[in-house]
Amino acid sequence: MVLLPDLLPQPEEVAEFSSATSSRSWYHYLLIAVSLLFTLVSVGFVLSILLKSLPTWAHTGTLLTSRVWQPPNGPYGGLAMIVGTLETSIIALAIAGVVGLGTSIAIVFLIPRRLRNIVATFIELLAAVPSIVYGLWGFLVLAPFMLNTVDPWLNSWPFAKEVLGTSGQEFGSSLLLAAIVLSVMILPTFVAISREVIAAVPQDLIEASLSLGATRWQMIKDVVLPTARIGLFGATFLSLARATGETVAVALVAGGVANMQFHLLYPGTSIASWIALEFGEAQGNEISALMALGILLMAISFSLSLVSRWLVNRQRKLLAKV
Amino acid sequence: MMNVAGLAPTPDTGHELRAEIRRTSQNARARRVLVSRVMMTLCAVAITLAAVPLVMLIFELLQKGIPVLDTTFFLKEPQSPTLLSPNATGGVSNAIIGTLALSIYASIMAIPVGVLAGIYLAESDSKLASVLRIVSQTMAGAPSILMGLFAFSFIIQDLHIGFSALAGSFALAVLMLPVIAISTEISVRNVPQTLREAGLALGAKPHKISLKVVLPTALSGIVTGVILAISRAIGETAPVMLVIAGGYTDSWKPLDPVSALPLTIFMNAKSEWPSLRAQTWGIALVLVAFVFVLSLTARIWASRKQKVGN
Repeated sequence: MVLLPDLLPQPEEVAEFSSATSSRSWYHYLLIAVSLLFTLVSVGFVLSILLKSLPTWAHTGTLLTSRVWQPPNGPYGGLAMIVGTLETSIIALAIAGVVGLGTSIAIVFLIPRRLRNIVATFIELLAAVPSIVYGLWGFLVLAPFMLNTVDPWLNSWPFAKEVLGTSGQEFGSSLLLAAIVLSVMILPTFVAISREVIAAVPQDLIEASLSLGATRWQMIKDVVLPTARIGLFGATFLSLARATGETVAVALVAGGVANMQFHLLYPGTSIASWIALEFGEAQGNEISALMALGILLMAISFSLSLVSRWLVNRQRKLLAKV
Repeated sequence: MMNVAGLAPTPDTGHELRAEIRRTSQNARARRVLVSRVMMTLCAVAITLAAVPLVMLIFELLQKGIPVLDTTFFLKEPQSPTLLSPNATGGVSNAIIGTLALSIYASIMAIPVGVLAGIYLAESDSKLASVLRIVSQTMAGAPSILMGLFAFSFIIQDLHIGFSALAGSFALAVLMLPVIAISTEISVRNVPQTLREAGLALGAKPHKISLKVVLPTALSGIVTGVILAISRAIGETAPVMLVIAGGYTDSWKPLDPVSALPLTIFMNAKSEWPSLRAQTWGIALVLVAFVFVLSLTARIWASRKQKVGN
């Protein structure tokens, strides 16, 4: 699976064999040159965005704490986008995590062996569906449905207006809709990884617990999930990373308003989608401010990917011990 | 007598105790089984819940996408609907050509670098390799909008090349690079050690072994990775939307502004013309068909590799 090659059972470590690199041939130098080029591109990637964002870091405080985004002269405050990113991706993760965990368990332990490969292929195909397609579906199908059915229903609960805000926003765009679309999008990613992690739990452990009289659920709860725990956290963080970085789907369904909002039925925005929406008309300082938002997004994404890689490596070591 | 009287109840209590234990354990077992049934049912509910939106999505795509597809859609450039002819949307040939051009130029840039860097990762244990491995894994997870910012900052602001297919394909190439490098590394590492040793035993030079033994064996795995990277690049909107300017005319030229299928969906989804909104379903269907065909091809390549391996 290419989503996350480093989560797959790795081939056994090859014994030291640096054939191509120990000889000083043209081939050796070609490989080194290309690798240096790759490293250079990656360094350039970080540096060029960072350099363009420099003017904005003079107002770091504004960027991190102000909720006002006012082109062309500023201030450029990113709080609404930061909060929107957190809200949408955490709610999406909560939905996708619960549903996805159940789905993975069902795929591994409930679905007949013959169907399992078909379901797995289907899920990987869904993980490959471009995010704009999920966004389009969210905007043209789910949004009217939310606007006409779900939102009024949610609003009919006591205190719902105070907590969620009133329904009936333009197009049905809202933070809640963005979170739901995100959860549908990251579900295949989450399931693809967590299914592999759960299926990798050694059969011996499962049989041992069943032979002691554990029911299926006890076996899953007490043996499978604890063994797969760290890998499941890894899947969670990677899905979170995908949700925070998602751009166009959120840009279509969240409403695209720089509006710090805890009422989930109101429109809002996220860091990535704000960059996409504002960039077309941005000039001078605003471009720099958007680049600074990009650096924030990069920091979030890099730290999430570091944490998840650390977790996945720990899981692999753990399973190697079993 | 005292003894007997003292002993008499003892078996009785034991009996009751055993019955009590049996009852409790049966109750406990019944509860365990019940809990298990409930939880497994919940898992079945979860998989249904997961399937519903995804099946709905595919259904809508087919139902609304197919009617839009005709020769105009594929062969004509777009035009703006007017009040007199609200259904005259033209086609999306500019976006189809744009997407093909973008992915071809991006492949030309990304494949050689990605594959060679992947081989280096697999065959070297130097400092550079370990740095590069961390770099490529981190880059592989970076949000794609950042590639767009990079292309804008480097190609458009620094090199003054302008909004063009070149800038867009540069962004896509940066996106594809780490994916190709990582999958190449895995396929090269999967080549059995014995093959390399056989080559060495025959007296072949190390770079000959790498080029004539390892690469051909790893080729189908490498191709799989490349196809999947291309299919990811084709569907991306965010990296290209900042730098290709969405041109309305058919053009293969690298320096012309172009459009792309995902970008056209993004621009037309909020259009006030119902005909343009309807057309986006057709574009989405074509896009998904592209991606599915590529992914399935990649899977077939991958299973071919397994057969060769066996």
